[in-house]
Amino acid sequence: MTSNDNHKNNLRQIFWIWLAITVFGVVVGIYGTPWLMPTAASDTMHLSILTMVVFTVAAAPVAALVYAVVIVALTKWRYRGEGIPPDGPPIRGNNPATSAWLVVSTLLTVFLLVWGLALLAVDNGAESKSEMTIDVTGQQWVWSFGYAGTQVHSHDLFLPVDTDVKFEVTSKDVVHGFWIVQMGIKVNANPGAITTTAVTPNRVGTFDIRCTEICGLNHAFMVTRVHVLTKKNFEQWLASQPATN
Amino acid sequence: MNSTLEQHHVVGGGLLRRLNFGTAAVSGLIFGFIAWALSHHFLDDSGQGFADQVTVLTGCGWVVGFLLGIGALTGPGKWFTGRDQNHADEMYLAGKDLGRKRYFQYTTDHKVVGVQYIIATMVLLGAGGILAMGIRTNLLTPGNHFVNQQVYNGFLGVHGMLMILGLIVAVAGPWANFILPIQVGARDMAFPRLNALSLWTLIAAIPLLLGSLAIGAMDMGWVTQGPISDQSGIGFDLFAMSIITFTISTTVAGVNTICTVLTMRTKGMTMERLPIFAWASIFAAGLGLYAFPFFLVVMSLNLADRMVGTSFFIASGGGTGWLQENLFWLMGHPEVYVILLPAVGAILEIASVFSRKPLFSYRTVIGGMAGLCGLSALVWAHHMFTTGWAPTLGGPFMLTTELISIPTGVIFLVLLGTIWRGNIWMKMPMIWVFGFIVNFIVGGITGIYLSDIPVDNQMHGTMFVVAHFHYVFVGSVLFGAIGALFYWFPKVSGRFIDEKMGRISFWLVFIGTHVTFISMFVSGLRGMSRRYSSYALIFEHTNFITTIGAYMIMAGMLVLLGAVITSWRSGEPSGPNPWGGKSLEWMVPTPVPLENFEVLPVITSDPYTYGEAKS
Repeated sequence: MTSNDNHKNNLRQIFWIWLAITVFGVVVGIYGTPWLMPTAASDTMHLSILTMVVFTVAAAPVAALVYAVVIVALTKWRYRGEGIPPDGPPIRGNNPATSAWLVVSTLLTVFLLVWGLALLAVDNGAESKSEMTIDVTGQQWVWSFGYAGTQVHSHDLFLPVDTDVKFEVTSKDVVHGFWIVQMGIKVNANPGAITTTAVTPNRVGTFDIRCTEICGLNHAFMVTRVHVLTKKNFEQWLASQPATN
Repeated sequence: MNSTLEQHHVVGGGLLRRLNFGTAAVSGLIFGFIAWALSHHFLDDSGQGFADQVTVLTGCGWVVGFLLGIGALTGPGKWFTGRDQNHADEMYLAGKDLGRKRYFQYTTDHKVVGVQYIIATMVLLGAGGILAMGIRTNLLTPGNHFVNQQVYNGFLGVHGMLMILGLIVAVAGPWANFILPIQVGARDMAFPRLNALSLWTLIAAIPLLLGSLAIGAMDMGWVTQGPISDQSGIGFDLFAMSIITFTISTTVAGVNTICTVLTMRTKGMTMERLPIFAWASIFAAGLGLYAFPFFLVVMSLNLADRMVGTSFFIASGGGTGWLQENLFWLMGHPEVYVILLPAVGAILEIASVFSRKPLFSYRTVIGGMAGLCGLSALVWAHHMFTTGWAPTLGGPFMLTTELISIPTGVIFLVLLGTIWRGNIWMKMPMIWVFGFIVNFIVGGITGIYLSDIPVDNQMHGTMFVVAHFHYVFVGSVLFGAIGALFYWFPKVSGRFIDEKMGRISFWLVFIGTHVTFISMFVSGLRGMSRRYSSYALIFEHTNFITTIGAYMIMAGMLVLLGAVITSWRSGEPSGPNPWGGKSLEWMVPTPVPLENFEVLPVITSDPYTYGEAKS
């Protein structure tokens, strides 16, 4: 076999290995990612999971190409003799290959950008339309929630389903991270400043709030729950609460 | 050399000849104690920042005393008094005929400094590794209290900072000192005394960082976020002092590296014939000169808040933690590339030599590195997407961050192009290169997820982020650093690192890395925040697996340490050019003579002429 035939063989092998790994990556991306992530309780979280899936699918062929070349290098191009191997072909570059690589990686990057910017635009909906506002206060190591327009405060968060909710977040001491895990929203609670985020819960149930910025001894225990109720149940709950300061 | 000079430098007197690591440590402790006693005596002990003032001044005393005790100021002192060092002094400083003693002194020979950096790196990474094991042991099961929460939080911050400092010097320290001057055809670095200064300033910083853990009560993590850093105990004062000292060390080293490459190249060594490691080194050093001043500033302002009642980062005094975060990440993101680029440079050298092929597209990779440096200065706020600071800047920072994947892709193109159809020689250095390629793809791609704001809103501050940057730092930079160690060790010691133990350590670290950090990705995807000392039951299995993987990495690193120690004493002799390399460091004898070259070589091509040279 001439080295040219050999080379064509190698290209064919690279192609098949690339295809196999790509398929594997795409399958893992489509089925594995949503399975590993929490079940979404808002559209925001849906978009977050969808983005993870899309990026995994887009990344699979890139990683697969690298791994395919690595596998062929380790099996076919490996020198198995004794001592220092003879010199390989003096390839100092390949302009078409370099250009193609740059063009493809640029196109992928543009795709990522457009995807990200489009999602940002979609995502800002809840905040501008907000139907209710929650005051969130972090302090070492509890969360407290005030319901705007009422005197009600709570340590578990209660939300009505399918309502655009805006959170105004602050802290009494150090920086905390306000994160509703299953809703895909997060913003830091800073002392002396109010930050905002917003979400539309779309599923009735109980979900997790965890702190994401180290805030001292009990950072790991600065957790609470959010209860998403039907609108009617939420009104009943709100009416049943005593007014507190 | 005439015999009187010869005698003079053997028996000669002078303070210079009596200083070493021992005198430095003693002097550091004495000066530290004096500073402590004086500050206790003279400062107002009812003042708010009294404890911090005392701690910082004690730290200053240690650093100044240590540098005096090692002899860092002897040369300038002599010059100042008009008695500049003579030839015998210079030879003594360079460590001529001093044997092992020279490794414990303020020695200017770049090869001695390189070896000292190897040891310093091992100390930093070893201490950081022990803390990592403490962290993982604490997380072995939910609610485990291997250490209490206060100690655990201290472990987090000091582990992070030890590893960051360790990785900053892991490749640049040993090899930009030992190998780089030889590669460019120089007899030493441009500023040999500054070279020693950078090393010993680093050594002075290490006990401060370890001491900060001992006096403890630190809750701020390695990012030292305000105002939690203001709440932390006096351990933080030593922590910040250590970083300030380190920035001085790295600035001095960076200037030295750049000047060496720009001004000390031998005849015919044009910039286009430089080995790629030299390019990577000056890019990293230059980027460090941009980044580390922010480090110095952020730590200084933080100390000022604590000591003298300023309020740069304290909201109740009109300051803001966002200022701290901006300053920190202005340093923090370029720093990633300060760490990465020397490792990439070493990886590319190894890939070319062990594929027996020229480096693929030399100019493209230089462009790629330049692109990484430029962009890395413009992406810092992607660490702040969820802080609430300037939400409208999200889009632009997403843009710059995603653009970085283009020059990163160039690094992969060049690596793959270099091994493409080569005669791949799977010796130890090349094995770590393949590990690097496999891991860096994972680290790189998971970074792209995080650059997307809706995903970052979910993933920021979770174990997903931790796993991502550990794939970059452990899976990529550490693999590159170990590959470089296997590659250049024969030039340092004249011996190979034991291949059998090397392979065992590779597989332990390689498999351990994937076990540790894939399970950590899953913890993050399922919703576990980072820096947790304890966790909910749903994270039980993945955390258990992560801890087992971490133990595997530790076992692999211990095998590697054993291999390095035994091989240094009694490894298989290697000869001057065991890998058939073509760059200048392989053309000089081993052990490398004091001034490297008897006659400076004249260069007619770059060192990548595989398959081209007629010889």
